Amino acid sequence: MNIVEVQNITKLYGDFAALDDVSLSVPQGCVFGLLGPNGAGKTTLIRMLMRITFPDMGEIFFKNHPLSADDTYEMGYLPEERGLYKKMKTGEQAMYLSRLKGLSKDEAYKRLRAKFEQFGIMEWWNKPVEELSKGMQQKIQFITTILHKPSFLILDEPFSGFDPINTNLLKEEIAQLKSEGATIVLSTHNMASVEEICDHIALINRSHKILEGDIFEVKNRFKKNRFSVEVSRFDAMLAEQLQNHDFQLVEQLDSGHYTRFEIVIPQTKSNNDLLQLFLQYSDIHSFNEILPTMNEIFIEQVEQSNQTQNHEK
Amino acid sequence: MKNKTFLIISREYLTRIQKKSFIIITILMPILLVAMIVLPVMLVMLNEKNQFSRVLVVDESEIFINNFQDNNHFEFSYRSGDIEQIKKEAFDQDFDVVLQILDNSESLKSNIYYKKNLPSGLESEIENQMDDIFFNQLLQDSLHIDRARYDHLQDLAKSDAVTIQIDEKGGEKEHDSDVNQLFGMACGMIIYFIIIIFASQVLRGVLEEKTNRIVEVLISSVKPMQLLIGKIVGIALVGLTQLVIWIALSAAILVGIQLAVPSLFTPDKVEAVESASVGYHLPDSASIDVAPDNIFQMIQNYFSVSFGTIIFAFIFFFVVGYLIYSTLYAATGSVVDNESDSQQYTMPITIPLILAIVFVPSISTNPDGPLAFWLSMIPLTSPVAMMVRLPSGVHAWELLLSMGIALTFLVFCIWFAAKVYRIGIMTYGKKPSWKTIFKWLREK
Repeated sequence: MNIVEVQNITKLYGDFAALDDVSLSVPQGCVFGLLGPNGAGKTTLIRMLMRITFPDMGEIFFKNHPLSADDTYEMGYLPEERGLYKKMKTGEQAMYLSRLKGLSKDEAYKRLRAKFEQFGIMEWWNKPVEELSKGMQQKIQFITTILHKPSFLILDEPFSGFDPINTNLLKEEIAQLKSEGATIVLSTHNMASVEEICDHIALINRSHKILEGDIFEVKNRFKKNRFSVEVSRFDAMLAEQLQNHDFQLVEQLDSGHYTRFEIVIPQTKSNNDLLQLFLQYSDIHSFNEILPTMNEIFIEQVEQSNQTQNHEK
Repeated sequence: MKNKTFLIISREYLTRIQKKSFIIITILMPILLVAMIVLPVMLVMLNEKNQFSRVLVVDESEIFINNFQDNNHFEFSYRSGDIEQIKKEAFDQDFDVVLQILDNSESLKSNIYYKKNLPSGLESEIENQMDDIFFNQLLQDSLHIDRARYDHLQDLAKSDAVTIQIDEKGGEKEHDSDVNQLFGMACGMIIYFIIIIFASQVLRGVLEEKTNRIVEVLISSVKPMQLLIGKIVGIALVGLTQLVIWIALSAAILVGIQLAVPSLFTPDKVEAVESASVGYHLPDSASIDVAPDNIFQMIQNYFSVSFGTIIFAFIFFFVVGYLIYSTLYAATGSVVDNESDSQQYTMPITIPLILAIVFVPSISTNPDGPLAFWLSMIPLTSPVAMMVRLPSGVHAWELLLSMGIALTFLVFCIWFAAKVYRIGIMTYGKKPSWKTIFKWLREK
């Protein structure tokens, strides 16, 4: 079941289309990576999901009904540009934002104390926000975003400005929320964390959606029949034999104990054909398929889409 | 939902009244105000207590000999002879001042010699008495009448205009237009300052949330309208709190002073202050006829105008004026990205208010003229202009019409601000043109 259905959304700013006929679906209970280069239209889409701006054409459905203001009050939203009242005391401010989300005073206090403890920022409870470091402010904002345990959560660049330790803390929180049944839309440029925590992705470039799907499925779609074979000993004939059989040797890496071959298998051959050659000329240590990284898919797909678009023009 | 609006109101209110600047201004203002009232009275008292001077008059013209009047502060003695010799001896003989009057047919010239301190008021006391004596002499010599006769004649010729208002029931009420003018001007100024101070706080608050981007988070929790109402009401309560504390604190301090020094506020002393230091003479109708028991009755006697109406109108124009300006300012804060840009938009609405202040003297001298009338009808100027006019008395229909127009305009302002604010706070970058804003107004 999809919690969010975006149908043929177009958003115009004057003559410029920030989003052009974009459709996508966010399955319930997944971590959804919203990817794309700077200025692609990710934030515009997110702002429409939060009903901060409205589409000129198309419609957004939330839990099978048209998205309404009441829906957004249930959501959690961490905007890309963070902001808090600078002069207000940290604890007071967190209480205020949590209570605006509908938590009772006691409940908000209880949960905030626990989270402040967990994030190690309890001593800042009575300090004004302007005395906090940027990372600390981000933590506060993240806490107030998730405190009311929203079933749907939008995080726009949540990791920017965090050190590795805090990034991990955040990832754990996201995993925890997911295990509790929340759906999380994540916009980020950090492809490593996308591979780590996202189940689903959509790639937007120049106002168009160019890719969408389950992350494993996407990776398989763009795999290039690349394999890695590690051997402990090999015959000098191996390289020549590979070439004779139309296998393309991309890389050969000697790491002391093992030598690693990276090879592309042509359409006409199978994995077994390759292994037979290796069995004949070497002692195989390991054999793996190399799937493309999200980073590679991102760059390749964006460049390709740019070329077609330029070509169309 | 209501709960959330209340939450916003209490945040806006609490964060502001907890500020140091708020607390300082709230406490300091009444103290300054009371000091302005009390200090002149105390100075007069000090004078009365401590000052007694003996003056030795050396009059070469002989006009003034034995003509100076002794009073509580000054005692005059006379001597003739060599001035240098007298100066040497006089101060040893317990005189404080030697007054030398030179014989000069052209004009009256005199020297006042003193050693330690020149007693305050001595100079003017001597000048006044000399003028009087000289004038009496002139009357006697040239017109051959005495002073009493002259005063009587002058009383006959004197005109003393009293303004009397006839109210609806045909009753007559005596006003003193000077007091009314002063009171009206004060009310108008207070309204002006309150509007400017607190409406610009609304603007800054809206702008803070917008530039902070915290508004994006807030809007995912509450409706823009709740945010707007919360801010405007919260800041209005801050203003009211300040006003109430000012009034209560001033009253408390005055009561305290009166209890501590009961003799401080008696009519004759206040009158002495009025005429001596302020240069403004209290009218007969105000405080001389009725001997007030305490300071409050005395203050009330100043404003023997329709007090209830004035208070009602003051509260009305305070609230409506504030709401008109704060909604418009909030709309302004929502369309700009920084404070300096906001002036371009607030200018057209602030200029009428400043004009109203500029015209306050004209309005108060001619409260029924066309300028006063129209300024008290135009909603952007009426809060100030009407308050200036009111103590001098306006027709009931004029007051009601002015209030009606202001209310109608307020409804328009709320509609306008709601439309603009909702879109404005979410729009960054390019400043919207008036044309764009007009487009927003038509959006559903």
